[in-house]
Amino acid sequence: MVTLTMIARVEDGLPLAASMQEDEQSGRDLQQYQNQAKQLFRKLNAQSPSRCTLEAGDMAFHYLIEQGVCYLALCEASFPKKTVFAYLEDLQTEFHDQYGRRVPTVSRPYSFIEFDTYIQKTKKSYIDSRARRNLGSINTELHDVQRIMVANIEEVLQRGEALSALDTKASNLSSLSKKYRSDAKYLNTRSTYAKVAAGAVFFITLIVYVRFWWL
Amino acid sequence: MLCPSLAALSLQSSTPEALRVVNLLQERNLLPPGPIPAPTPCLPQDLQKINCNPEVFRSTLTSIPQTQSLLNKAKLPLGLLLHPFKDLSQLPVVTSSTIVRCRSCRTYINPFVSFLDQRRWKCNLCYRVNDVPEEFMYNPVSRSYGEPHKRPEVQNATIEFIAPSEYMLRPPQPAVYLFVLDVSHNAVETGYLNMVCQSLLDNINALPGDSRTKIGFITFDSTIHFYNLQEGLSQPQMLIVSDIEDIFLPTPDSLLVNLSECKELVQDLLKSLPNLFEKTMETQSALGPALQAAFKLLSPTGGRMSVFQTQLPNLGVGALKSREDPNQRASAKDIQHLSPATDFYKKLALDCSGQQVAVDLFLLSAQYCDLASLGCISRYSAGSVYYYPSYHHAHNPAQVERFQKDLKRYLTRKIGFEAVMRIRCTKGLSIHTFHGNFFVRSTDLLSLPNVNPDAGFAVQMSIEENLLDMQVVSFQAALLYTSSKGERRIRVHTMCLPVVNSLSDIFAGADVQAITGLLASMAVDRSVSASLSDARDAMTNAAIDSLASYRQSVLTIQQPGLLAPACLRLFPLYILALLKQKAFRTGTSTRLDDRVFAMCQLKYQPLAYLMLMIHPALYRVDDLTDEGALNINERTIPQPRVQQLSVEKLSREGAFLMDAGMVIYLWVGRNCNPNFLTQVLGVPNYTAVPQNLYLLPELDTAESQRTRAFIGWLRDQRPFFPTLHVIRDESQLKANFMQNMIEDRTESALSYYEFLLHLQQQISK
Repeated sequence: MVTLTMIARVEDGLPLAASMQEDEQSGRDLQQYQNQAKQLFRKLNAQSPSRCTLEAGDMAFHYLIEQGVCYLALCEASFPKKTVFAYLEDLQTEFHDQYGRRVPTVSRPYSFIEFDTYIQKTKKSYIDSRARRNLGSINTELHDVQRIMVANIEEVLQRGEALSALDTKASNLSSLSKKYRSDAKYLNTRSTYAKVAAGAVFFITLIVYVRFWWL
Repeated sequence: MLCPSLAALSLQSSTPEALRVVNLLQERNLLPPGPIPAPTPCLPQDLQKINCNPEVFRSTLTSIPQTQSLLNKAKLPLGLLLHPFKDLSQLPVVTSSTIVRCRSCRTYINPFVSFLDQRRWKCNLCYRVNDVPEEFMYNPVSRSYGEPHKRPEVQNATIEFIAPSEYMLRPPQPAVYLFVLDVSHNAVETGYLNMVCQSLLDNINALPGDSRTKIGFITFDSTIHFYNLQEGLSQPQMLIVSDIEDIFLPTPDSLLVNLSECKELVQDLLKSLPNLFEKTMETQSALGPALQAAFKLLSPTGGRMSVFQTQLPNLGVGALKSREDPNQRASAKDIQHLSPATDFYKKLALDCSGQQVAVDLFLLSAQYCDLASLGCISRYSAGSVYYYPSYHHAHNPAQVERFQKDLKRYLTRKIGFEAVMRIRCTKGLSIHTFHGNFFVRSTDLLSLPNVNPDAGFAVQMSIEENLLDMQVVSFQAALLYTSSKGERRIRVHTMCLPVVNSLSDIFAGADVQAITGLLASMAVDRSVSASLSDARDAMTNAAIDSLASYRQSVLTIQQPGLLAPACLRLFPLYILALLKQKAFRTGTSTRLDDRVFAMCQLKYQPLAYLMLMIHPALYRVDDLTDEGALNINERTIPQPRVQQLSVEKLSREGAFLMDAGMVIYLWVGRNCNPNFLTQVLGVPNYTAVPQNLYLLPELDTAESQRTRAFIGWLRDQRPFFPTLHVIRDESQLKANFMQNMIEDRTESALSYYEFLLHLQQQISK
């Protein structure tokens, strides 16, 4: 079930069109996923992979970038990738036909919100299970599964990177502290030896003194 | 107008016009000849020139007191009346990537901020110094750099911004319209269904929206009927759900369909709907379950629900009982049953508000319908209530014409969706009570699922901290909404007013119409929460206290009589008018629904139309001349003088027109000028004047043209359509006409002069 579809300009993350399917099941979390989608749009650039799936808990984001426009869909993690990407490609062709030329010129958010009607119709035809079986034939084109990079959304939003940096720092810290501990022990023992040695020297001096003075 | 401070400078301190002492007991002709303009705040020319239009933003006191104790001494209410979404002929729109706002209080930059240098600006509401962003230094209008104070945001007090995506919680919603229609036997009898369907067919291309606009229909009697309008069907399919205890939607989609794709099906449905229920014998009305079903249908997207009801809902959840006791209609004591009988409608309205659904209610009943309970569905969801008592397609043609014109305006007027409004004021002032149809979400955020250009709002303020060292204070109302074409916009209005520290200055700046409007809203709240007699007493006390304060603290020379400053000379008259208004009157038979509707209107109507409801304008029209006429669009519109509302001013030899806002009466005297009868009414003599005339014949005479031009001009000034009634002596409506003669005595109320004497007596105590 595709819950959220968003289309944005890659260059600056300006949203161009969107469609949301709110129902009693998805409800509240949709706000959080929407925010993640908006952040994701801002992080995209010319170097981003043209097709990608991002896992986010029990949902997944799938996006496709073509001609400077990113087409994003959010659905359940169990939803077949082939269907979603066929759906996104369908949207891409139609959107490019209708609005492709005007994309670089607009500045108002959701300038092409009217595309919502087409998104909803297309969504219905791809969700319908009978249609899914028919898609097998269309999807022979989508044979290059390796093109789709799978990653974790947290990593992409660089929270993961920060975490692994933190992880290395923490392990560094732990080894450094171990070293410090052993160094401190060594110093402790050395000072104990020194003290014992000093005590011993004093004692011997005393004995020698007593021996030669008194006797 | 000479400001008091300037007046004090002159050697011979001439009192400004506003403070001229008027002895109300002696001066009888207080009404100005034409409409009363809003008072001008006492600000320097350059600030007043760019100040907000008083039709949009108005304060009860145009000079704000410096301290709360000073305000308490004046005994006048402090508040603002707004009409934020009013249709404006000129509205500057700014598309900017950055919207400049104060960093701490989030006020939008406005004409009343001060620029410390070219790079920094000081907020006029919280006094914080902010930086001017780089993009703001460039002025796209004049193509110049380095003059941020010349930008349109700083030159216009009313401005609209195109909002960037940070101002959206979700992608802009499409325009969604759902019509919920009562089809019980009673409803079909009135014939309203024909009118609604015909109106929709006529205006279907003018519904505000774009290619995403959706439309749906639900009809109900003892069961709920849905209509499957899926593209591809040969005709609309009706689906009946009879389990009203547990309402569900029979199909997941196709009940709300895309208007442009399914237009033919929708038109087929509208053509066949009246015939479908022609022979119905159902007498029950399950309004509550129908509203629940409609809510289920609209909650995924939000939108507007238009509910048409013709009888008391008597089935299912939310069923109401007839609470009105006809014997109590003319009660001289308290009126009961002004508060809702059940909180079902309020709860549903709050749920609707949460999902951005507004509910508009059209009540077309002849019997009691408990509008006090039903009205809640609109009040908290930012909807509006329309009332057509005893609507009938054959027996009441004047109502039919009014319904038709109102529907046309309702369907085609501008609309905003999923809106919120916030009102901010300078540090030291705070807002504590809100009046109008909306839901207050957090301390000052008003949730408006729909915003329409005919809604007015009011707020009451108090002075928390003394406004020392301040010359002026500012107020800003910001309305964030989605237009019907899916654009997110912010409309900002900013008003600036001077601060004064003397009681006489406060009185000089009093806006008597705004004060009356705010008092009316406060009295409605008091009637519902306490009692009607409490509210009546409070209104009378407002007049007594303020005039007593004036007499004690401002007047230097004590004279006998009832003295008032010129700016407040109409205050007792307006208070008396409120006491005799349908909403608050006692002792005269008033149907409970009529009274509750009058109360709803007092809280909802913007001030201009409200004043006509409270104090109608009376003109003599049998002798209209072109002297002083206005020339608009090559039509000459005569401007007769406004008369006092007293039978003393009526004359048997004349014809008089009374403009009461929602209705216009044309009273013809028994010995009326035969010229008027023949040239304007088209009848040979008085006895030939038809009983229920509601349309003036279009005769080719100069008098007829003048009269019709005048009435047309009155009607053009307001968004709803006032019905015209021509009244003779024997007419049934004569009583209504006479009830508006505020200055006269009746069995249950004082005359204007007696009221003045009563006030004088209370003041001298």
